Amino acid sequence: MSGSADSLQGRPAAPSRTKRNIAIVAALALLGWALVSVDVQLDRLVDLPGRLASIFERMFLPPDWAYFGTAADEMMASIQMAWIGTVIGAVLSLPLGFFGARNVSSGPVSNVVRLFLNAVRAFPELVLAIVVFVPIAGLGPVAGALAIGVHSIGTLGKLTAEAVEGIDSGPVEAARATGSRPLQVQRWGVIPQVLPEVVAFWLYRFEINLRAAAVLGIVGAGGIGQILLNTLSYRRFDKAGMAIIIIVIATILIDYISGTVRRRIIEGSGARRIQGDVLEQPELVEVPGPGAPTGAGRS
Amino acid sequence: MTSASLAGPAERPAKPPRSLLVPAGIAAFLLITYWSVSAEFGIGLDLGEIFKDLGRGQIILADVLRPNFDFFERTIPSMLETIQMAIIATAIGCSIALPASFLASRVTSPNALVLRVDRGVLNVIRALPDLLYGMIFVAAVSIGPLAGILALILFNLGVIAKLLSETIDGVDVGPIEAARASGADRVETVRTAVYPQVLPNYVAFSLYVFELNIRASTVLGLVGAGGIGNLLNLQIGFFNYSNVGFIILELFLLVFVIELVSISLRRRLV
Amino acid sequence: MIDFKDASVTYPGGVHALRNLTLQIPEGEMVVIVGLSGAGKSTLIRAINGLVPLTGGEVTVDRRSVTKAKGSELRKIRSRIGMIFQTFNLVKRTTVLNNVLMGRLHATPTWRSLVGRYRAEDVEIAMRALERVGIVEKAYVRAANLSGGQAQRVGIARALAQEPKIILADEPVASLDPPTSHVVMRDLQRINRESGITTIINLHFLDLAKVYGDRIVGMRDGRLVYDGTGAEADENVFRDIYGRSLTADDLLEATAAR
Repeated sequence: MSGSADSLQGRPAAPSRTKRNIAIVAALALLGWALVSVDVQLDRLVDLPGRLASIFERMFLPPDWAYFGTAADEMMASIQMAWIGTVIGAVLSLPLGFFGARNVSSGPVSNVVRLFLNAVRAFPELVLAIVVFVPIAGLGPVAGALAIGVHSIGTLGKLTAEAVEGIDSGPVEAARATGSRPLQVQRWGVIPQVLPEVVAFWLYRFEINLRAAAVLGIVGAGGIGQILLNTLSYRRFDKAGMAIIIIVIATILIDYISGTVRRRIIEGSGARRIQGDVLEQPELVEVPGPGAPTGAGRS
Repeated sequence: MTSASLAGPAERPAKPPRSLLVPAGIAAFLLITYWSVSAEFGIGLDLGEIFKDLGRGQIILADVLRPNFDFFERTIPSMLETIQMAIIATAIGCSIALPASFLASRVTSPNALVLRVDRGVLNVIRALPDLLYGMIFVAAVSIGPLAGILALILFNLGVIAKLLSETIDGVDVGPIEAARASGADRVETVRTAVYPQVLPNYVAFSLYVFELNIRASTVLGLVGAGGIGNLLNLQIGFFNYSNVGFIILELFLLVFVIELVSISLRRRLV
Repeated sequence: MIDFKDASVTYPGGVHALRNLTLQIPEGEMVVIVGLSGAGKSTLIRAINGLVPLTGGEVTVDRRSVTKAKGSELRKIRSRIGMIFQTFNLVKRTTVLNNVLMGRLHATPTWRSLVGRYRAEDVEIAMRALERVGIVEKAYVRAANLSGGQAQRVGIARALAQEPKIILADEPVASLDPPTSHVVMRDLQRINRESGITTIINLHFLDLAKVYGDRIVGMRDGRLVYDGTGAEADENVFRDIYGRSLTADDLLEATAAR
């Protein structure tokens, strides 16, 4: 190919970087504007470490252990709130997700549904709770659950629709070719491909909704959030510290369980990517360090 | 086809035992749902009651759905503050999150101790709601957007580090082997073999987090940490639901615009 | 010169990948290693640059012990050894040139590599490497858009950019079709003859081994069972190495004909 004596010919020119540079300058300019115009007293930052240390001390050294029971009860309420909200969201988002998918439902219908889902998504749970559901259901976890549920419909609906749009059309074609009715096509062609991913979304949503539930408590939906609001408002930092510990433990626990189940579901569905080809040697599984094997596949 | 080439009908394999996983999962699901919904153990969700009370909600909703456009001018300073907070928090949070993510992934972390400590810290950060950080920072630096920015930075750190480290966990390790084989050290290996693979995801996550920050600032304002939340709270307090409706509309439009920009930016990069 | 002294590798599961191997490879030689999967070819090649550490014995490169080297010393040894992989191991999302520049990392200060601004001399070396394998016109193309043969040539360019004294190739053509395989093998041979770079290649296909291997080393069960020229290696020799008769899978052209 290029065995020519003049080796500089045949070399392509470097592609232009202007667009990229303009984008970077624009982003930096935006950041600069924000930094300059935000109304912040920077001298407060000086006190920050000291203040934080003092709060931290009053919260955790030691926390109010006697408060454990109350805090744990309220944490349960928040978990239940999040669970119901997720269930509502999951159940209602499934059909909406299908209708919102361009490849499964018709073009205009899917557009309308997607728009609706986006609108619902745009309402943070907090706003939904305060404005709509507290007046309806009164203060307490029910309002919280409903707010979480309605908001989740939006997010889960969008993710479900995207998952449905991302499927392999082969099985769907095959199902249609056998003369199945539309609902059967969904059941056998689409759902098997999509279900693991969608269930994984539901579980992840539950993790997020748990946090939302804690937050909603602050605006009156009860649960552990209410505890946080009360204790911090009255500066009972030791009680607040106990509540925080409970939140951390419960959230990490639930994240872990949910994450494990999610991983099992995804792995079981065969969607896992397979690295490299036939492995000749057993992998040396080690975190790469200088001189250590990287554990990549061999052949 | 005269002579049969088959020795006889092939042996049919035995039907494998049905996995217990799915029925177990469904059972667990039903159990937890019942427990959550019941009045005794749970929150006492009574759909019948709710439908009866929908009437109350309808009145408020009617107002909310008739937004007061004259309110626009009064929302400008708060909206600008929301945007400023989101920009600054995204910039700082994402910058810190990048090295934190590399340390939190078993592919790029230098050793098991660093990995566990980093992941542990990030898990704790993620476990707490951003409002809580807002309240704590308000107690520490008093009300105003500074508290909000600090809270958002922590929030961003948690979100991005988790998402990014999971992405890093899934990279193609081939280029890493190539980099090591050529004599590159850890930093160079990560920079040339891992970072290019995750860069599009990093940008996508950053844009996602920026959008989250905008939404979060509505909430942070409620506890005095700056942004539109403060104004929102005020309007709710005065039952000015059509002002509330306008603020919601504004936010919706803002998020919508940001999403459009973010999608087009993401397309450019990939 | 590469020197294996009683080298052994036993993996944690108990697999003996290399058993007391003693082997010397003088400078400038082109050696082809053949053997079944699991025979130890891959381990042997990776022991040379320390990607797989020895569990017994020692391997030295130019009198420097790879086995004892750690950290920056090991990296220095590696910088003189270029490696080519069966799966190419290119960073798909970035350009061909950036991939080849990975070979210049050892000579690049960290800050430059972080920002992605390599020295002009290094870019020149990378470009020349691409010219040498005849693919420079693709310098700014994304690596993902290359064919298998092109990708492997970029892999070779990356190794060349290190200005190495040794090139290791782990089944470089196993993922390629026969004509492309010959192109790549010829490139490796040409580089070995033109620049005197010691070249060690793992091959699966015996007909390729015979054609391109000046010296053929046969591995079986982690042991060296043959060491001779390509001319001497006939069917009987291969049967010894493989422990069975040859099949069509062992020959490149036979696989292609199927």
